[in-house]
Amino acid sequence: MEFEKLQEIIAEVMNVTKDEVQPETKFVEDLSADSLDVLQIITEIEEAFDIEIDNEDADKIVTVQDAVDQIKKVVE
Amino acid sequence: MSEMTRVALDAMGGDNAPEEIIKGAVDAVHKRKDIQVLLTGKEEVLKNTLSAYTYPKEQIEIVNATEVIQMAEPPVAAVRGKRDSSIVVAMKLVRRGEADAFVSAGNSGAVLAGGQILIGKIKGVERTPLAPLIPTARGVALLVDCGANVDARPSHLVQFAQMGSIYMEHVIGKKNPTVGIVNIGAEEEKGNALVKETFPLLKACRNINFVGSVEARDIPSGSVDVVVCEAFVGNVILKLYEGVGGTLIKKIKASMMTSLRSKAGALLVKPALKSTLKSFDASEYGGAPLLGLKGLVVKTHGSSTAKEVCTSIIQCVAFKEQKISEKIQGAVQGTQDTNS
Repeated sequence: MEFEKLQEIIAEVMNVTKDEVQPETKFVEDLSADSLDVLQIITEIEEAFDIEIDNEDADKIVTVQDAVDQIKKVVE
Repeated sequence: MSEMTRVALDAMGGDNAPEEIIKGAVDAVHKRKDIQVLLTGKEEVLKNTLSAYTYPKEQIEIVNATEVIQMAEPPVAAVRGKRDSSIVVAMKLVRRGEADAFVSAGNSGAVLAGGQILIGKIKGVERTPLAPLIPTARGVALLVDCGANVDARPSHLVQFAQMGSIYMEHVIGKKNPTVGIVNIGAEEEKGNALVKETFPLLKACRNINFVGSVEARDIPSGSVDVVVCEAFVGNVILKLYEGVGGTLIKKIKASMMTSLRSKAGALLVKPALKSTLKSFDASEYGGAPLLGLKGLVVKTHGSSTAKEVCTSIIQCVAFKEQKISEKIQGAVQGTQDTNS
């Protein structure tokens, strides 16, 4: 559930296909995202899941799976 | 009557906030009935300042924001950390579609970073450049990018050229604007790696009127309408432009006061000189748009007075009416389809 929604958000922001967004995908290395792209994605996540992710936790997000884990952590 | 343009205005940002910012908002609604200004900031402070003015009440609204991002704060941390700041609250109004545009004289980095983080890029736009209008002998030129993206790639510069052309044509009204890339010579083989790689891409781009390289000395004469460069170069050009302009004016004024003869001459040329200098007054042209976002973001000088704030608010109307974001999306995606 979290992953599918996340796939949609990342594909939209980075202008890639959903297939290019997999759990092991790295934002910077694989999707050529810069720091602002990652923060834009985090804002979209916060809106979509109605959560707030701390800056410290946001800094640790490197892969898509990291983002999924952060969402789960905050939701739980 | 045309549709209302709603402008979220950061009332706490800039050296002269909130007084000059609020005065600018009042001036704007007196000039245009089709503008509504949403002032974001500390409610009590804004209410007190506004109470000194008479204005159409339905055209100015206060949206409370309890925090302020200071000019020297680290931008990204401030945007993420101060969620109830005047900048963040205003940008969220744009994000939710409750405002069409955002204007701020506040922390530049926070405005640039917040634009992308909170409002978001148009799908397909790779980077969002800051594009001020600079005065030239023929009117104005758009300098794109002047502060948002150092270390840009060729594909970014191509998009800057496309977005800048759309802005110049539909907001400023310059038909088929010419585009030049900043270079150290006129020939195609001149320049650094970025310019050499970008040049053929701009030449092949069908939806712009690319005319080749432009040397910095030719920018003030108005040799091109859209001046394309990466942010480091753009920022240097802008600051040098401002510095040379200011120094020249000071020197001219000083030399006019050296003798009785020069003072008499100064009196004679004063009207002509004043109107010429007015055309080179940055506050006449409002702020710099951050291009490629889902809503309009306009950054005005930190030292903005009411006049510049007012002009910046009014420039948002054309941006909305001309559906600039939609046009940018069309242009960017059209190019991607062509390239794919």
